Order: sequence, then structure tokens, then C-alpha cells
Amino acid sequence: MSRAKAVLYAVTGVAAVMIAGCQTGTEASGTGSVATKAGKRYKIGVSIPAADHGWTAGVKYWAEEAKKENPDVDWIIQDAKEPGEQISGLENMQTQGVDALVILATESAPLTPIAEKLHDAGILIVNVDRGFTKPVADVFVEGDNKAFGRKSAEFMVQKLGGKGKIAILEGIPCTVNTDRVNSAMDVFKANPGIQVVARDSGMWNREKAEKVTQNMLVANPKIDAIWASDDDMALGVESALKGAGRDKNIWILGGAGMKDIVKRVMDKDPLFPANITYPPSMIAFGMQTAAGMLRAGKDNSKKYIPRHVMIDVSLITPDNAKDFYFPDSIY
Amino acid sequence: MKRSNLLTEYGALLALVVLFVINVVTRGASFLQIENLRNLISQNAGVGVIAIGMTFVIIAGGIDLSVGSLTAMCGAVAILLVNKLASGGMGPTLAILLASLGAIAVGAVAGLVNGAIISYGRVAAFVVTLGGLAGFRSIALVLGKGGEIRSQVQGLEDFGFGGVAIPFVKNAGGGPVMFYWSAIVFIIAALLASFILNRTRFGRYMIAVGANERAAVYSAINTQTVKLAVFGILGGLVGVAAVLEGARMNSVGTGSVGLYYELDAIAAVVIGGTSLRGGKGRIWGTVVGVLLLTLISNMITAYNIDTNWQGLVRGIVILVAVLIQRGRKENE
Repeated sequence: MSRAKAVLYAVTGVAAVMIAGCQTGTEASGTGSVATKAGKRYKIGVSIPAADHGWTAGVKYWAEEAKKENPDVDWIIQDAKEPGEQISGLENMQTQGVDALVILATESAPLTPIAEKLHDAGILIVNVDRGFTKPVADVFVEGDNKAFGRKSAEFMVQKLGGKGKIAILEGIPCTVNTDRVNSAMDVFKANPGIQVVARDSGMWNREKAEKVTQNMLVANPKIDAIWASDDDMALGVESALKGAGRDKNIWILGGAGMKDIVKRVMDKDPLFPANITYPPSMIAFGMQTAAGMLRAGKDNSKKYIPRHVMIDVSLITPDNAKDFYFPDSIY
Repeated sequence: MKRSNLLTEYGALLALVVLFVINVVTRGASFLQIENLRNLISQNAGVGVIAIGMTFVIIAGGIDLSVGSLTAMCGAVAILLVNKLASGGMGPTLAILLASLGAIAVGAVAGLVNGAIISYGRVAAFVVTLGGLAGFRSIALVLGKGGEIRSQVQGLEDFGFGGVAIPFVKNAGGGPVMFYWSAIVFIIAALLASFILNRTRFGRYMIAVGANERAAVYSAINTQTVKLAVFGILGGLVGVAAVLEGARMNSVGTGSVGLYYELDAIAAVVIGGTSLRGGKGRIWGTVVGVLLLTLISNMITAYNIDTNWQGLVRGIVILVAVLIQRGRKENE
């Protein structure tokens, strides 16, 4: 009897969660049901990495914002922890009959074969931020990571007066990180007064960056500045500096424009003299592009929509910080 | 058989059937399209093949936490080998075949090492394979220099998305719908394992060792060899899974491939009604467990549910499966 009940609970429980989710799903797509010009409701899948750091949490936030802006489209937004899960999710979206897919890959190479297959099946593919290894996307939207590396490194050289010892924190190994680090290193190498005394990966993660920095501080009694390349890592670096009592006569350059860091640039915090943008809202741009292309007619809009869109990145200093400070944003 | 006995025996199957019917009723043709049903079998084929080997290990009274990391290590070996062989001028088909055999061999050896330390070194399987969980991942990361290893051989990707064309079915682009090789391998592995467990002497030995090792020793069963063998078989199957995953992605992300596979595989085994205490289990139950987990993911997408709910649904399914198992023990 108790076992029979257990099975009953299991099935009811699972069904309840599913139905609850189903209702929120239809509700979301049901409100403000506006017919498109062609009278057809489009279905677009959005596949992004699970929010394991602040920037990806920002991606999720902006994806939800873009969904609200476009109630005439049926959106399926899903996140994935690893490539295998992301591939299965994309296959499931295909059988749900999506017209377009907006993909921010967990990793570049593993997602390329499935993207190619979905593209061949006639689905419009918009690729955001982390690129595929073959040109299989109809549109590829990315931030200018080479400019990110170059502009941030140039600021460091200038602020240090062309002379000083710096440490470098890298991110998750992928094209984004490679472009940033290589461009920055080109600038540092061109300035012989700049000495890179330590270089390691903090995986764009706060705790990891803190540990790596602790080790760097022990090995190097003198560091003038740290190129942290990401604001989650910048916060980890700050904890390490404070923990070691080394938070004087040193400064950090993070990146991506996290609101807390931008605020401190604005308030002239000596630890954070500047920042550099890399907006997670680019996912929303990718979603708008996909929706716009479907409405205009996929083949027609391909004539004028560029296949590669590069988003410029800007240096944030106390002078212009207020233009980049969005207190209501999640990131 | 009493009604409640029937429930405890076929509880997982019943849950699968009920969820299937819910899907048919609410999603209709969209759910029943051939591509979707094919995905249900193929998407977790890698985990499925591992779960089949895990069933053997658990029946024999063991556990293996290292399978996810071993997947990454074998995958890295497979891709490096296929690149090396192809760049040496070997044809893609032969290169893929040899690289696959290499990955399976590496997996089997790793499994045998696990098994040897457990059976001859008398260290708890949990501890030994916890070491493997850390160690094999580390070797994979070293092989991939912390990142992904990309295949230079187009044939590997073609194998990943190739298979037997399902007759009379066309996809949206007008091409044939393939019944993927990964799904075929999963089915063959399940049939073979079922035969070994139920129809061979080795199968009976596994059950005997897991049920009561001392009694098995007194019955003149070489329990150490049996334990060594089940871990070796599981290791080889992990190599198979690694090749399937590597082909699907045409690359191996050494930090991400196989993440949590040990938990998925153990979950599938437990849901399927195999007792974690050993001495009792069934392959078809594990297959049902894998399909149930895949169906849940499938529904999450179809009903557009926030992915964050997936863990809770899985948790409910696993817990209830254990509750049912406990009920079965009380019955004896």
C-alpha cells in the first residue's frame, strides 16, 4: 500500500512540476499575443551557458528582457552546464519546430557539428560571443575582444608611465580569452619597461582568481598593477590583496562593466581607476536580430544583414563612468 | 504476484509509461515524430552504455565514481589518436576504427587498475574510484592543455551523425532521418549485457559475489577475478561512450566532457531497481532509468520550463525509486 502510494506520489509530483511549468510557459507566450505582419507566430530557441559567473548571469537577464520586448515570438530560453547538455537541448528545440536559434556556446568546437546540422536543416542560426570553429552561423555577433585586450593594456601602460611590474589573470580557454590575452601581450611586449612577473588562469571565476592571486602575491613581493580582464576575477583579486594587506600602491583593471565596479570607478576608488565594457546585453541584440530577420523574411534579410557583427568596447574612466552605470541591471 | 509486488517490480517502467502517455496526450504529433523518438534513445546513449557497465559493478557489490573523468581521458586519447593516424596518411575509416579501439583499450586498462586495487589491495571501491575521479580528469586536462582537443578528421563527425537511414522518413530539409550509430551501440550493449547477466555462469558469479562475498568464496568462486572483470568491462564501455561523445562533438572539451556522468549513470541504475547493496539487478531496468532521465530533459524543453527545475524533477524520480526498492527488500 505504502509503495503504491509512493509510485502515485512520484508520478503526480513529476506531472505537477511539468504542468506547472507548462502553464507558466503558455502564459508567458500567451500574453500580448500580437499577430506578426505575415500572420505567423515564429518560434525561436535561445541556448546559453548556465550562469556560473556574473557575466553569464547578465546574459540570462538580458535574454529575459529581449523575450519581454518581443511577445509576438514564442521563445524557448534554456541554459546548459556543459556541451553535451547544450547539444541535447538544441536537438529538442529542433523537434519543437523552432524557426531560428540564438546560440552562445558553452565551448566552441563541440557545438560546431550540431550547429552545422541544424543550419543544414533550414534553421536560422545566430551565434553570439563564443564563435563556432566553422562559418556555419547566418549571423555571428561578438564583442571586439582584440580591442578589449589592446585598449585595456594601453591604459595600463599609460597609467604606469611605461614602467612597472604587472600580473595577468586569464579566463576560460576559448577564442574570447585567446584574443584578449594575445592583444594585451602585444602591447606589453612593445613597452620594454613593463615587466609581466606572473601569469595564470582564474577561469573568469571569483574564488579561483582569489586563490591564484594569493599565490602570485607570495611569489612576487612587488606588483604595481594587475590585469584581471574580468570583473568577477577583479573582485577575487581585491579579496586576495586585502587578505594579504597588500591593497595599497597597487591597482586592478577588471573588465566587462559590472555595475559595482563601474560605480567604484565613478567614485574614484584608487583600486579601480578604470574598466572596459563587454556588454552581456549582446545576447539581446542577437535575439532581436533573429526575430527581425524572421519577420522580414529570412532569405530576403540575409541580403543586407551582415554575417559578422563586431561590437566595439569602450574604456570606462571616472569622467565617462556615469554613461555606463546602470543601477537596475543585474550585472 | 500481488498487486503491490507488481508495482515494486515494474515501478520505473510504469513511471516511464505514464510520462510517455502524458506526452502523447499533451504534445501529440510533435512528440511522436520519429526524430524526437530517435533523440530519446540516442541523446544519452553515452551515459546509457556506461550505466550498463555500472549495473554489473553495482550488482557485484562495487561502485565506480571515476567513469565521468575516465570518459574525458578516453575521449582525449581517441581524438589525439585519430588526428595522429590521419596525419600519417591513414584513411579516415581505418584511423577512426583504430583510435576507437585505442580509447576502449585505455578505458579497460584504467578499469582493471581500479579493479585490481579494489580486489587485491582490499581498498573500498568508493575510495579508489574517488581517486580516479580526480586523477583521470587531471590526465585529460594535461592531454588537452586545459582546453578542448579538436578532431582534424571530418569522417569522425560524419560517424557521430551517421547511422542507418530510417525508411520512409524525411527531415525538414528533405534528407533522410538517421538512426544514429550511438543508439544502435546502446541497444546492442544492453542486449549483450542482459544475456551475460541472465544466461551465463559469469552473470551468476557477479550476483553471488555481490549478495554474499564470503559465501561466494566458500562456493569456490574466484571473487577477486570477478571483481576485476566487472571493473574492466565498465572501463571498456566508458571507452565506447567516449568515442560516441567525441564523434558527436567532433572534439573533446577535456574540462567538460563526462561531467557528472557518474551521478547520471548511478541514478539510472538505482531508478532501474538495481540494489546499491549488490547481489540483485537488471539491465532492462537500467535502460528504463536512462530513458526516464532523457524523457525528463526532453519535456523540460518541450514545455519550456526553466532548466533550473530539472534537478528537482530528477531528484523526485531518484528518491521514489529508492523508496520502492526499500519496499521490495521488506517484502523478502
